[in-house]
Amino acid sequence: MHTLDRDVGQVSAMDVSTKPRSRFMLTVGRMRRRSFCYLFLLPTFVLLAMFNYWPALSALYHSFFQWNGANFKEWYGLQNFLQIFRDSVMRTAFKNMFIISGFGLVISITFPLAAAALIFHLQDLKFAYFYRVMYVVPMVVPGMVTLMIWRFIYNPQVGLLNALLEAIGLPTRIWLGDFQYALYALIFIGFPWVAGTSMLIYLAGLQGIEPSLLDAAAIDGASGLKRFWYLELPLVASQIKLIVILTLIGAIQGFQGPLVMTGGGPGTTTMVPGLWLYKNAMNYNKMGYACAIGTFLFIVTMGLTFINLRFVQSSAEFEGA
Amino acid sequence: MNTKLLKADWPKHVILLLAGFITFYPFIFMVQTSFKSSFQFQHEFWLPTFPLQPLNYKDAFNQIWPYLVNSFVVSGVTVILVLGLASFAAYTFARYDFPGREILFLGILGLLMIPGILTLVPAFLLIRDFGLIGTRWALILPYLSGGQVFAIFIMRSFIAGLPEELYESARIDGATNWHMFWRITMPLCKPILVTIGVMNILGTWNDYIWPLVTLPDDRLWTVTVGIVKFTGHFQGLEAWGQMFAGYVIASAPLIVLFVFTMRAFISGLMSGAIKA
Repeated sequence: MHTLDRDVGQVSAMDVSTKPRSRFMLTVGRMRRRSFCYLFLLPTFVLLAMFNYWPALSALYHSFFQWNGANFKEWYGLQNFLQIFRDSVMRTAFKNMFIISGFGLVISITFPLAAAALIFHLQDLKFAYFYRVMYVVPMVVPGMVTLMIWRFIYNPQVGLLNALLEAIGLPTRIWLGDFQYALYALIFIGFPWVAGTSMLIYLAGLQGIEPSLLDAAAIDGASGLKRFWYLELPLVASQIKLIVILTLIGAIQGFQGPLVMTGGGPGTTTMVPGLWLYKNAMNYNKMGYACAIGTFLFIVTMGLTFINLRFVQSSAEFEGA
Repeated sequence: MNTKLLKADWPKHVILLLAGFITFYPFIFMVQTSFKSSFQFQHEFWLPTFPLQPLNYKDAFNQIWPYLVNSFVVSGVTVILVLGLASFAAYTFARYDFPGREILFLGILGLLMIPGILTLVPAFLLIRDFGLIGTRWALILPYLSGGQVFAIFIMRSFIAGLPEELYESARIDGATNWHMFWRITMPLCKPILVTIGVMNILGTWNDYIWPLVTLPDDRLWTVTVGIVKFTGHFQGLEAWGQMFAGYVIASAPLIVLFVFTMRAFISGLMSGAIKA
């Protein structure tokens, strides 16, 4: 860390030997001399206190209350958390969350990785650049426009998907209104899932591999799939782990897709935990219960992130060995 | 040798082009349908038709322009304030040693772990209790507060990596703190400021749930919320051409931003993913 004040650094090295009282005075003196630092940071921390720290603490605190967000607030103990497990809608939401996570994981470590590997293995760098740009452009379109286009794709009367199915003689459906298929229609959005940040992250990982390793593999005669499986795949392990945790966080917390596309329906077939939180807060005024769902999802995410961090560390050690 | 290698690549090209086509077709469909009348849409679904119907864009623009203005104001004001505040804070953290620095910085770093879903309800109630529901401040203030966290995090390590000699010689010349911030640090930060700025604009422009919650009537809605409403409007009229024209218009600002800041845009997208 660079610091501007060398003299202050010396003072703090010296003050180890001085008495506690004067150490305190020295700190106060340093704070006074550095008062402009606190002034620079003041607006930042005022905002953070109001809009970040306070809401987070308030959410944790109100998880233990029955609360309508206004005039009614009553201690509720752990009842909200128990309710999460008793609530049948919440059970559906968790089931959907698992299905979305499962598909999300499989999708996010296959399609974009395959695309990145194919681009990485192209001999002609001009083409590699061309594909990279081509796969970036769809990401530039606002997410909501993409969602709306997919809503049109699934439109039962004039949608692209039904028109395509009709053209090849397959049965059509009311995709987003279908009790059996709506959830899978939501998961299918974005097919073939190659244009996205995951692909870019994988590609960056592949491009970061030591070229001498790839040369050595080529000399040993390893090529194509073998080289990918035994050499490149282990070396992008940390990218895969990053994508895995991002996908899981998205699946646990995200609800914009279901909110816009189906509103959780038909029935509750596409309900997800985040959407149920949103509905409890905005439609039913159950602010305490909504806070408890938020707290629960936060804890789950923290747990997964923690597990993932430990994994990443072990893989780095493995790579170093 | 070389041509043999290139020829060996053709299966890869087939897969990549096919995946690219499937990815792109919905957007191609959007653009071609945006130029169709209802009659043309009914008679030719898959391919472009002539004559083009540029007036669709006029109808769509009439619906969408207030939302576009709102998005410009909110994202514009937010990005300027975020860059300003984050620059101050990041410079202070990176270049000065003061009591409590580590703890304060940890206090910011820890916020990266707090998901929006946890704070959604209390933040909404806070905005309501401040009487800001239905005003632009309901968007700008939380965007500013949340946006500066990641910006400070990125900028601090960038500024800490600047060579100490620069600052030493400036101090010998008697430069003030302000001078070192404004004349030395900020010019060197331009590239990182562009990346953070693009990232911030992407985040606020694409946000849906927060404006939906805090803006009860559509007068101040941003484009992302507005799109959903005018989709319903045109769907009811079965005016598909106008609907897709609206989507094109809604996409245009980000595409223009992308063209001008390609590199920053891509790293913005990637760090946006890492943030989430």
